[in-house]
Amino acid sequence: MDIAFSPEEQHFRAECRDWLHVNVPSEPRPLHAADAIDFDKAWQRRLFDAGWAGINWPREYGGRGLSIVQQVIWLEEYARARAPWIGANFVGINHGGPTLILNGSEAQKALHLPRILSGEAIWCQGFSEPGAGSDLAGIRTRARIEGDELVVNGTKIWTSFAHVADWQELVVRTEEGSHRHAGLSWVICDMHTPGAEVRPIRKMSGQIEFAQVFYDDVRIPLENVVGGLGQGWKVAMSTLSFERGTGFIADQVKQAQELEDLLARARQTGAIKDDRIAGDLAQMRAEVAALRAMTYRNISEVVRTGQPGPEASVIRLFTAELGQRLERMALLLAGEGILDFRYGEDSLVAEYLRGFAATIAGGSSQIQRDIIGERLLGLPKSR
Amino acid sequence: MDLTPSAEQEALITATADWCADNMPLEQARQRPIALWQELEAMGWTAMTAPDMGLDHATEAVVFAELGRHLAPVGLVPSAVAARWSPHAGKAALALLDGSLEGGMLRVFDPHGAVQALGLAGHLAATTELPRDLDGGPSLDPTASLARLDPAPPFEAIADPRAALHLQLLAAAFALGCADAARDMAAAYAKVREQFERPIGWFQAIKHICADMAVRCAVARSQLYYAACALDAGADDAAFHIASAKLLADQAALENGRANIQVHGGIGMTDEAYPHLCLKRAHLLTFIAPARRDILLGDAA
Ligand SMILES: Cc1cc2nc3c(=O)[nH]c(=O)nc-3n(C[C@H](O)[C@H](O)[C@H](O)COP(=O)(O)OP(=O)(O)OC[C@H]3O[C@@H](n4cnc5c(N)ncnc54)[C@H](O)[C@@H]3O)c2cc1C
Repeated sequence: MDIAFSPEEQHFRAECRDWLHVNVPSEPRPLHAADAIDFDKAWQRRLFDAGWAGINWPREYGGRGLSIVQQVIWLEEYARARAPWIGANFVGINHGGPTLILNGSEAQKALHLPRILSGEAIWCQGFSEPGAGSDLAGIRTRARIEGDELVVNGTKIWTSFAHVADWQELVVRTEEGSHRHAGLSWVICDMHTPGAEVRPIRKMSGQIEFAQVFYDDVRIPLENVVGGLGQGWKVAMSTLSFERGTGFIADQVKQAQELEDLLARARQTGAIKDDRIAGDLAQMRAEVAALRAMTYRNISEVVRTGQPGPEASVIRLFTAELGQRLERMALLLAGEGILDFRYGEDSLVAEYLRGFAATIAGGSSQIQRDIIGERLLGLPKSR
Repeated sequence: MDLTPSAEQEALITATADWCADNMPLEQARQRPIALWQELEAMGWTAMTAPDMGLDHATEAVVFAELGRHLAPVGLVPSAVAARWSPHAGKAALALLDGSLEGGMLRVFDPHGAVQALGLAGHLAATTELPRDLDGGPSLDPTASLARLDPAPPFEAIADPRAALHLQLLAAAFALGCADAARDMAAAYAKVREQFERPIGWFQAIKHICADMAVRCAVARSQLYYAACALDAGADDAAFHIASAKLLADQAALENGRANIQVHGGIGMTDEAYPHLCLKRAHLLTFIAPARRDILLGDAA
């Protein structure tokens, strides 16, 4: 075991740092949806032009094809340089694109991958439904086959960036009467198709970042099915193997920075003299360090075996809950000033309110604890 | 950068676990045979980083976590530190010097056959020679005998600050092992104990308690590995990382110790069952080189 990076890795780190230093935009990401989307696209384009888009995508698809350790280094430097949040490009770069790389036809890849990489096409993810959240296999949005088309009816909800997206990865039930994981298909849906209606939803932080989507006889060419009819569950799960434990590194570096900022603030205001605050800050400093160590351990496991360790769900759960404790501490230190908050502000109050998503979206903390209990400890399955 | 144990370290972990299962069963934890100490010495565990063996702290830490998981004698921790740094040779008992500052009396754990005692005096590790044939009586931790010396003998500080870090690191490894033991006991029991016609581990209220135990262990183990490497590398922030490892391992041991008893229900709070051994050991370990807040906050002098 050792914690040193090799000379080549250090050289690569310097390369990342240099590029980011020159290229990270100095203005913050705008708050309002339309401006934010332009900002996201422009930033993605800049990454693309310099060859930094899709760091974990294979080179043959235009990605950077970095090794896992290089990805860690890039993500650490990215966060350290306070480079922008990936924003609306999240689904395309981290989910839709990888799913196509693993399961798509040559035509699907040729059409979509370059546009995703360059930030030209925005994707959204239509998995969750009003009746299918944690229990994703309860999907009811259905599609019947008519000639060479799918005709979709139903609704999806909590679809992030649906209101600005060009394309959607949509999971629908294509076999009538099928149950649970069977009979689902993963389909590329053009968001501008007639019959698809997007109703944006405002979050309690004031932002409009997700929406409910209604499908009323939406016609999608059969050739937009990815990985075969009825294979939707398998296709949806395949993406998990693409992301090998690097998903939270940027968050973790950001958390470390936020904690140091909070500590400086607590010293400046004298809040550090409060024993409970000092104790909590000390605790979180230890935890931030441990989280990085846990990620390094997981990455080392990937380097050694090609697979992330079974503790990936621990990293996810711990990152989410630590992030929320940091946000609560920020609020505590801010004091009464938080009461001035109003919608339209991108303050620490908005961060705190948005931060509730960390333990809900994409597998809640309760579901993570089930997974840890069952897969790590071998306890009997409850579901 | 590699934070997974090497093949050799893995082999050592397995060998340690096997040896402990055969020679140091939990059933004997409160009445270890007198000859056990010689066997532990013969296995090399009292002197892994001493000049003769010269292993690194990372290797020592993973082995000590394993020893800790089997509630090995607590004297291993001070002895391993003494073997590397103390001017005296031979078994070192554990000295808690904070108590002696208050009342003049010194608590010494696992004194049988020890020629010296080692503990933390302020920021430095320190040793003292012990009177011969010192023997201990019962303490909170049924696996650790306790002798009291009144008045406390004078201690001799070990000038190298790494000795104190070494002590803190190995105590953290023992605490991690203790937390692991509690987690494994709880998960094993949750699979076999049935109520309402199913294993209690089926119920999320129990499953999630166990999951949190696993999280605490994973967090503490990760930081222990990093801290051990930082000490090996002579990193500037080694003291911070070791303090963090100790803080998280102590918390894991204590919280898991408590949770384990809850998962066991009534039998969990009996003298006969094992869960209380983990809890009580955890309490003892918190007193060995506790993590200092100024170091955790990065403002130590
Ligand atoms: C900000 C945000 C963005 C999102 N973006 C997208 C997106 O782009 N695309 C998309 O498809 N989805 C998206 N989601 C949806 C997200 O994946 C779901 O919210 C999540 O899966 C939880 O489902 P739910 O909201 O229906 O809650 P439910 O599943 O109804 O859960 C409610 C509560 O019950 C608990 N619970 C549920 N089942 C169990 C169980 N078996 N045991 C114990 N407790 C249980 C949960 O933990 C939770 O506390 C987003 C959500 C958020 C908050």
